[in-house]
Amino acid sequence: MLIKVPLEWLREYVDIRVPIDELALKIHMSSTEVKGVERPWWDDNVRVGRVEKLEKHPNADKLQLATVEYGEGRRKTVVTGAANLSVGAIVPFADEGAEIIDGHTGERTTLRGKPMRGIKSEGMVLSAKELGLGEDHDGIQLLDPKLPVGALLREVLGETILALDVQPNRPDCLGIVGVAREVAALLATALREAALDPLTTRTPKGLDVRIEDPEACPRFAAALLRNVRIGPSPAWLQGRLVAAGMRPIDNVVDITNYVMLELGQPLHAYDHRELRGGALVARRARSGETLRTLDGVDRVLPDGTLVIADEERALGVAGIMGGESSEIRQDTTTVALECASFEPRGIGRTATRLGLRGSSGSAAARRFAWELSPDLVPLALARAVRLLREHAGAELVGVVDRYPRPRARVNVRMRFSDVPRVMGIEISPEETLDILRRLQFEAAADRDTLVATPPAVRTDIAIAEDVVEEVGRIAGYDRLPMRIPDGPLPLHERHPLEEFRERARDGLAGFGLQEIVAYSLIDPGWLSQLTADGSPLAPEPLRVTNPTSLAQSVARPTLRPSLLDTARRNLRNREGIAIFEIAPVYLPRRGDLPEERWTIGILLAGNAEPARDGETWLTKPRPWDIRDLEGFFDALAELLHVSHPPAEPASAPGLHPGRSIAFAHDGAIRLAAGQLDPRVAERWELPLATFVGEIDLAWWHAASRRPEAKAPSRYPPALRDLAIVVDEATPYRHVVREIRAAAPELLESASLLDLYRGPQAGPGKKSFAFRLVFRSATGTLSEGDVERAMKRVVGRLEHALGAAIRS
Amino acid sequence: MANTDLKTLADRAVAEIGAAADEAALEAARVRYLGRKDGALAEFTKQIPALPAKERPAMGAAVNDAKRRIESALDERTGALRAAHLERELGAERQDMTLPPRRLRLGRVHPISQTIREVSRIFATLGFETVEGPEIESDYYNFEALNIPPGHPAREKWDTLWISNPLGDDPAHPLLGRTHTSPMQVRIMEKRRPPIRVVIPGRCYRYEATDAIRESIFFQYEGLAIDEKLTMSDLKGVLYAFARQVFGGDRRIRFRIDYFPFTEPSAEIAFSCFICEGRDPKCHTCGGDGWIEAAGCGMVHPDVLRRVGYDPTTYQGFAFGGGLERLCMLRTGAPDIRLFYQNDLRFLEQF
Ligand SMILES: [Zn+2]
Repeated sequence: MLIKVPLEWLREYVDIRVPIDELALKIHMSSTEVKGVERPWWDDNVRVGRVEKLEKHPNADKLQLATVEYGEGRRKTVVTGAANLSVGAIVPFADEGAEIIDGHTGERTTLRGKPMRGIKSEGMVLSAKELGLGEDHDGIQLLDPKLPVGALLREVLGETILALDVQPNRPDCLGIVGVAREVAALLATALREAALDPLTTRTPKGLDVRIEDPEACPRFAAALLRNVRIGPSPAWLQGRLVAAGMRPIDNVVDITNYVMLELGQPLHAYDHRELRGGALVARRARSGETLRTLDGVDRVLPDGTLVIADEERALGVAGIMGGESSEIRQDTTTVALECASFEPRGIGRTATRLGLRGSSGSAAARRFAWELSPDLVPLALARAVRLLREHAGAELVGVVDRYPRPRARVNVRMRFSDVPRVMGIEISPEETLDILRRLQFEAAADRDTLVATPPAVRTDIAIAEDVVEEVGRIAGYDRLPMRIPDGPLPLHERHPLEEFRERARDGLAGFGLQEIVAYSLIDPGWLSQLTADGSPLAPEPLRVTNPTSLAQSVARPTLRPSLLDTARRNLRNREGIAIFEIAPVYLPRRGDLPEERWTIGILLAGNAEPARDGETWLTKPRPWDIRDLEGFFDALAELLHVSHPPAEPASAPGLHPGRSIAFAHDGAIRLAAGQLDPRVAERWELPLATFVGEIDLAWWHAASRRPEAKAPSRYPPALRDLAIVVDEATPYRHVVREIRAAAPELLESASLLDLYRGPQAGPGKKSFAFRLVFRSATGTLSEGDVERAMKRVVGRLEHALGAAIRS
Repeated sequence: MANTDLKTLADRAVAEIGAAADEAALEAARVRYLGRKDGALAEFTKQIPALPAKERPAMGAAVNDAKRRIESALDERTGALRAAHLERELGAERQDMTLPPRRLRLGRVHPISQTIREVSRIFATLGFETVEGPEIESDYYNFEALNIPPGHPAREKWDTLWISNPLGDDPAHPLLGRTHTSPMQVRIMEKRRPPIRVVIPGRCYRYEATDAIRESIFFQYEGLAIDEKLTMSDLKGVLYAFARQVFGGDRRIRFRIDYFPFTEPSAEIAFSCFICEGRDPKCHTCGGDGWIEAAGCGMVHPDVLRRVGYDPTTYQGFAFGGGLERLCMLRTGAPDIRLFYQNDLRFLEQF
């Protein structure tokens, strides 16, 4: 939680004798992240001035000439349009050359004297906006009449403020006093806590407090104050609130806020007239109970919500938001002041349910969601009562404090040697004790045994490691040496699928394809644009219930839309594209985490050549085609030693039916590749000839084998060409299969030289021309060996496929 | 007599061959002198059978001698002619070497994949095994097992994307996009016994507005090491070794206090700025203070150990986690995290 700590306020509790930057660095390193140090930035040209004389501008009705004295008899005449000036007013004056904020643009600018309607303004009197103090630009910012004329404005107005980002384990640092406790420990100096009159608890007539659920509300105290005069709070108090980032309202509200900023403990004030039955009760909301909250909204309270009620009705949601009915009004005279402790996780859950979590919640609710110490309750109440007596004329009628099960003090029993055991550095018991005492811990030592008792406000300390961190951070983490661990090295496991995946990644990049990494959450609309009729390609996806945008609201069950979208955007500034992605797709499983199925996706579209920069002098342009896609798949399978995974042929939705292949196994498509259905391509503004393919990585991996290596044959090859005619329906791979089967020992390769369809093949026929290479591992093949092998090939083709041999 | 003729013949042939101007002249000379049928030497060979028996060996030897001389002259001249020819060609054949080459299409691995590999490689040298785990996680592993029960104020640090299963949601076990790679600490410890040294790269999700340095979908790397005596100083050493490898040179490393519910003590790691070495108050890389905040870390909380069945009085260790994109951005100057996922090839082709 971001808090602002005005240094002037902090100094009330601790002496700071180091430069601000050094202090900020110490806090940042050892206590709480320092987000920034805000300082007054007005330069030497901005001073306190006094209006000596006001005259009408001779040439303009709405302008005045103001003569301003700004110390040591120096005076200048400025032109101003402000209506709120009077002679004797104390105002901020900026001389020429001063850096101020431009009232129109809001930007910093350097003031130059310039003529206005014929009269030169020798400087400026400044509005709040021009000072950077607020948005008000209607009139001049009038200053405290007691300020010395001529003083540098930065010396008398504005403050140095530390912006701290307090972590949720340190609710004690949500108050200035908590920060002061840290600073005192860091600087090894004393903490000055405010002197408080102890509150004698005598139950006042007309106010009682009851806790119905001590789990949810461990402590509940209230004070009854009468003769309260509602009015503005004193300037110093308002100033501190503003500096800390809160808006002054009236003295009662301001004082509750002030105490919250100082101690971290929120309070709530009720108009006693509205308390029916004269009681404040912490109880669970009744079924259907409603409340009009301070924001004017009528809310039905969720069942079980902890409320603060009187004897008849709910007055507010405990710790989160007050109700309208009992709020302080201008004519309030008797005030019931609540100061309570709530179970933080209950507050967090209720705030979430009411949509008041985090930054949308009130300052009080956000604090109550952290584990504030119940020991803050009497402190905060006493502090508030004292301020109300001093600044609102209040008389204390009485105080009631219910704390049915007081929390035991935490005693952490540990060993001094736990510090080196965890930190890896020797810190002596003496230093350990010194640090703990600086942090207001009580510490008892007996040889190596240490019993550390944190101050009650430190709700984050429970175990030895917590105490070790305290000692380590104050001693300084920069004292830790750097060691390379020398302990036992674990045996590593192998990750075959991940290794296979990385070889695929290198392979595809090696083939000249660019890898992409796309968002894994996509637009659900994309999933209905992958087939011509909009039918889904993949199972119903997992949905994000609170997406940041519709465009990232479902977990993609296929890589295809990401590939299409990436291609579409890139083809706006290039002629061709060849990309791949290797990523999981997310497939729902009943009653389990989804399957994250690693998938390879490839897309080719547009120009295949030239490879780069549109240079055609050596390589002529040509479009990607279906054989390129097949080639990449084929080469990748060869590179990864994949052959014949178990599969049945399937149809490939979303692809051109005559130019695609697909294989399924175990009820899911494991490979689909081909030309994108041109109707789909059109919808994605892609070239009609766009080629995509996807492979289930694990399915391929299961069909990959470890390579077996042999020495190459030392003997010469024998080459034979063979032309055959087969039926059009005969698949090429069947032809190759039969050729290989006919001469498994001697045939080294069978390469397709040519494909012919036409009169010489005959209708319904096609002709393949092959080059067969025969070779033996054991000797030079004789003419006779080769002739016999060729006879077997021909015989087998004729017999198995009805092939005719062409001469 | 015949020997003298033979010698004269060979002398003439050697002279002729030595003067041959090209390969055709050489071939003509070879046929003229060594030709099987009509070559000059063949004439002598034919005469041998007609000679008296005791003259035959001398004649045969003389013929062979002449033949060897002629052959050797032919070889020599052939070599000389080839060399001369080559020399002429080298002088004459020219390509304009200033013209551009044939361009290969270059495929590249995405910068995120490159960075994951590099992180894995570096930690492997320190004995860390790379493991992976689910991106869609249960509330238990992402939060509860890490000391962050429902309603815990620290949940505000990890704004969560909640996931609904179309096959039915189980309100007791809500699904989410893991907000960090830390759930894998728990999954690994549940499966293995110490000693453990693993690094986990992977995709994470947050409910967060995106800007130049924040994405709602991003990658992290997580480290976990457990044995009987690992300390904060070992953690510092490991991260120092990592920083040197990633950013090179003599990096310094800084720990400051931080808070994570699942580590105690906790720290934030910063590396000394490798651009300005802390000397440029206007440095864009470090923001001027000389330090680059890179990751969160700490000693694994005893409650986390206890929950996976490890005895915290026996075992202890550390964990750390940081953003992968940030490493890549720092090293390459890539100005905006969103560029990695827009996949404009003009961007990707720079890596
Ligand atoms: Zn720098």
